[in-house]
Amino acid sequence: MVALNWLRGLLAHRPTRVIATALGVAVGVALIASIGTFLSSTNAKMTQRAIARVAVDWQVEAQPGASPATLLATVGSYPGVRQALPVQFTSSPSLTATTRGSTQTTGAARVLGLPPGYSSAFPGELRLLTGSLGGVMVAQQTASNLHVAPGDTVTVGLPGGKSAHVTVGGVVDLPYSDSLFQKVGAPPGAQLSAPPDNVILLPQSEFARIEAPVIAKRPELISTQIHTTLSHALASSPSAAFDDVAARAHNLESRLTGGGLVGDNLGAALDTARKDALYAQILFLFLGVPGAILAGLVTALIASAGADRRRRDAALLRTRGASTRTLVRIAMAETLFAGILGVAVGLGAALLIGKSSFGTASFGAGAVSAILWAVGAALVGLVIAAISIALPALRDARSLTVAGQRKQIGRTERGPLWARYGLDFIALAIAGFVYWQASQGGYQLVLAPEGVAQVSVNWYALLAPVLGWIGLGLLGYRIADWVLTRGRKPLTGALRPLAGELAPTVSATMSRQRRLLARAVALVALTAAFAGSTSVFNSTYQAQAEVDARLSNGADVTVTESPGISVGAQQGITQLKKIPGVGSVEPLQHRFAYIGADLQDLYGVRPQTITDQGKLQNGWFAGGTAADLMKILARQPDAILVSQETVKDYQLHPGDRINLRLQNGATKQLTTVPFRYEGIAKEFPTAPKDSFFVANQAYVAARTGSDAVGSFLVQTDGTSPGAVSKRISGVLGASALVSDIQNQRHVIGSNLTAVELSGLTQIELAFALVLAAAATGLALGLGFQERRRTFAIASALGAKRRQLGGFVWGESIFVTGGGLILGAAIATLLSKTLVDVLTGVFDPPPDFLTIPWLYLAGVAVAVLATVLAAGLITLRALRRPAIEELRDL
Amino acid sequence: MNEGLPLVRCEGAARTYGEGATATVALQATDCEVFAGQRIALVGPSGSGKSTLLHLMAGLDDPTVGTVSWPAIGTRDELRPGRVAVVFQGPSLLPPLTVLENVSLPLVIGGMTDADGREVARSALRTLGLEELADKLPEEISGGQAQRVAVARALAGEPSLILADEPTGQLDRTSGAAVVDVLLAASEHAGSALVISTHDQTVAARLPERWGMHSGEIQTDTRETAWSH
Repeated sequence: MVALNWLRGLLAHRPTRVIATALGVAVGVALIASIGTFLSSTNAKMTQRAIARVAVDWQVEAQPGASPATLLATVGSYPGVRQALPVQFTSSPSLTATTRGSTQTTGAARVLGLPPGYSSAFPGELRLLTGSLGGVMVAQQTASNLHVAPGDTVTVGLPGGKSAHVTVGGVVDLPYSDSLFQKVGAPPGAQLSAPPDNVILLPQSEFARIEAPVIAKRPELISTQIHTTLSHALASSPSAAFDDVAARAHNLESRLTGGGLVGDNLGAALDTARKDALYAQILFLFLGVPGAILAGLVTALIASAGADRRRRDAALLRTRGASTRTLVRIAMAETLFAGILGVAVGLGAALLIGKSSFGTASFGAGAVSAILWAVGAALVGLVIAAISIALPALRDARSLTVAGQRKQIGRTERGPLWARYGLDFIALAIAGFVYWQASQGGYQLVLAPEGVAQVSVNWYALLAPVLGWIGLGLLGYRIADWVLTRGRKPLTGALRPLAGELAPTVSATMSRQRRLLARAVALVALTAAFAGSTSVFNSTYQAQAEVDARLSNGADVTVTESPGISVGAQQGITQLKKIPGVGSVEPLQHRFAYIGADLQDLYGVRPQTITDQGKLQNGWFAGGTAADLMKILARQPDAILVSQETVKDYQLHPGDRINLRLQNGATKQLTTVPFRYEGIAKEFPTAPKDSFFVANQAYVAARTGSDAVGSFLVQTDGTSPGAVSKRISGVLGASALVSDIQNQRHVIGSNLTAVELSGLTQIELAFALVLAAAATGLALGLGFQERRRTFAIASALGAKRRQLGGFVWGESIFVTGGGLILGAAIATLLSKTLVDVLTGVFDPPPDFLTIPWLYLAGVAVAVLATVLAAGLITLRALRRPAIEELRDL
Repeated sequence: MNEGLPLVRCEGAARTYGEGATATVALQATDCEVFAGQRIALVGPSGSGKSTLLHLMAGLDDPTVGTVSWPAIGTRDELRPGRVAVVFQGPSLLPPLTVLENVSLPLVIGGMTDADGREVARSALRTLGLEELADKLPEEISGGQAQRVAVARALAGEPSLILADEPTGQLDRTSGAAVVDVLLAASEHAGSALVISTHDQTVAARLPERWGMHSGEIQTDTRETAWSH
């Protein structure tokens, strides 16, 4: 009852202290609950994206001796299977076509027989480039090799020297050729086989007609797969969805009793997604937990500002006969009230943030997860309230003496316990060791051994950044403390322009309050580091996502000539530059070249312009920067850059001569062109990941008698790439395939692409800004508030406003300057560590950290504004007659 | 009668705290003057207006009605540091500064160099027998010692007028007596005027003049001695 009455009185007469604490609690709760919402939204989107990226959910391959018809019936009737269609596969020794007076013959080709309705049942598998779907179709590269277009005839070689003629109806791209031509049932960890260079797709009836002799005499050369689509009513968490799909695939295999093996494309996509989901959770740890801890520290700081008053209240109650138990009850009542109010406001704010940023108002992926997140966030809020109010009150209640109130100031000869034991150095040493050890193995944070159902986090590796954060925070305190103790003389010198002859007095004051000031410096440093490292990580991530998208798409807009269309470099540049919004146009020659028996992509570049206009990154090359290697191509036209894999496979050394076979533009025959290996290209715009060449465009044109280019890399003049892409498509029609980087960003590999992360980081950055500003302003403002009596006495002794300003601004500059400098140093270390630790998020790894100067300037301005406000409010309060101030205290 | 201009002059000076129904009159319209060399005890019970009058004399507060002036000193801005020193009722040393730094603070504020300020402060402490406390922090000395240090701080600038607000109020009799001894000796030595507010008749009895105060007014009969100088 006493506790309730006390609480009522507190709210009526001193509501600020309770409300301020509740707001601090609310910030921590909102941050954690928002991250729950982020994970909920991210998990669901990752599952959806994984599903959307799969063209055929299962490819069930009939095993030798099994009846394809029985297999189709079993798979078709399996629960959850929505569609099941049989596809036949066989091989042809070669494909031949004679067009415009020349005959081209390919190497071995794959021949597929597709049932009616295949393209509409699996729309992602075939992408029509020209002609129509449904008839005979050839893959884009095959069409290029054979120089065929719709209407041309292709001769399909058959085993035994026979052949059959088909008429091409369309040219298609096979975006999922890796999975389409996978080796079903390959053991986990087996090397992926490269998709075939030549593919022809026939309607089932046509396949049956031309392959009839093979079916009759060599049926073992024909294989059948049942391509299926499953019901996508799956759990929203990628991990749960993966478990479900993988278990069903195994169940189906057991039902087939050896008659078929399941190629689980959906399971493989979900497997990748669940690893990314785990990364998302680690991102939460790195980006969220420090924010929540800082919110707790700021709250404790707010609460500690009222600690003296609370102690005096408690002393007064004790003189009126209140027992320790009553004092504890009062403290608990205040804690519960501030905690519950803070939790309610925090959860409400998180719902609003979730709704506006992620489009979801749930704290977790499922009902149980949502409850756990909400309860977890609430518990954190109550813990913050307890640490801020109840704990100090309980401590005081046990040892409440007048002398006990005379704290904060003093000689404090001995440092804090952790400092005496060097806990900061120990933490940093362990962090350094773990970092070094984990870096040796490429910093694998998410462990997902092949063939093991469970993915897990390498918690040991996480010790490096966690202990680094703690160690650097404590070291910040130690450095500030050291400067105030040992650096009195230089500090006095630094303060002299501000405080004049009072400088020794001001530095003495600061030195004797060094615990208070060192705590403030450490808090400002940690909040600044939180804002800095979060924003640098975010910017680097965004920049890298941009690079990733640029690498995949080639440029802002990439224009690829349709099969059968050939435009010269200058003609293409002239035509494209006329289109509004186009800034620069860089022609990129695309050919196919044989190295030995291997066919690889060859990109011919203009070395003088490609570095800038293709926005080449140094990280894409080895053996020199992008500019260095392009200079070599310019100086030495027969120089060639080769992929790492080719260098390894062919044991190449710099300067080695390589003879490639390329098609001659006039004769259409393969001709040998000599090159000299001079460097490694790991990645290149529009190039495939595995193997390719980069050479001098003019040299290739001269040696092949053709200046034809494959595509044009278009950079816009600032106009949206999507808009420019539409304009180019409008002008070029079906003669070219136009793709833009905006669209590409949504398609590229990682699930952790900008959409979800940008939502999280916007929240993080907003919280970081608020925390940095609040921590600095409060640390100083509340410190000044505690020393109002000191300032009032100094004023009564005759100190002028300018002289009082020496005390106020001296402390402000020390805390803010020290905090920001230490914060910048900590942020730099943390950002580098974050990028290294989360290297799995980046593909390829960034060349350098991207610094968001605008945001950081915003944080600095916000911090300085609160410092200025705290100082001015303090000085303004001292305008009152000193005696009034002293009377009120 | 006093010669020359008064150090402080109150003309109809009154002080009211708050407004309207809650307004409290702390000091009624008061006329008084303090001249060089005078040593006065403002005597009266708690709430009689002693501290308020002292604060007005010190220029630490403004009268609501009437005026306070310092004809022999100048404007209010010229009172401190140096010309008028105040000894406060409660603890008034700055906690983060040592005793020496506390005493030298008003001197440095007044324009002395830090080194000179320390020298003068050390001398003032020596005069009051407090030199051994120079390097101690306020929390490391007793209440009586702290009040004597506050006196030393007031005297270090050799002020013309010392105003002490209940300087013995929170001290035991022995410590209180020591503080009064110091104040009297110092004012005698420097020729400063001294005004001590107190409710302790023993303290008041040690000063040659006593102004009795009651309900915010100086009682005429007890002030006659002052006017008769």
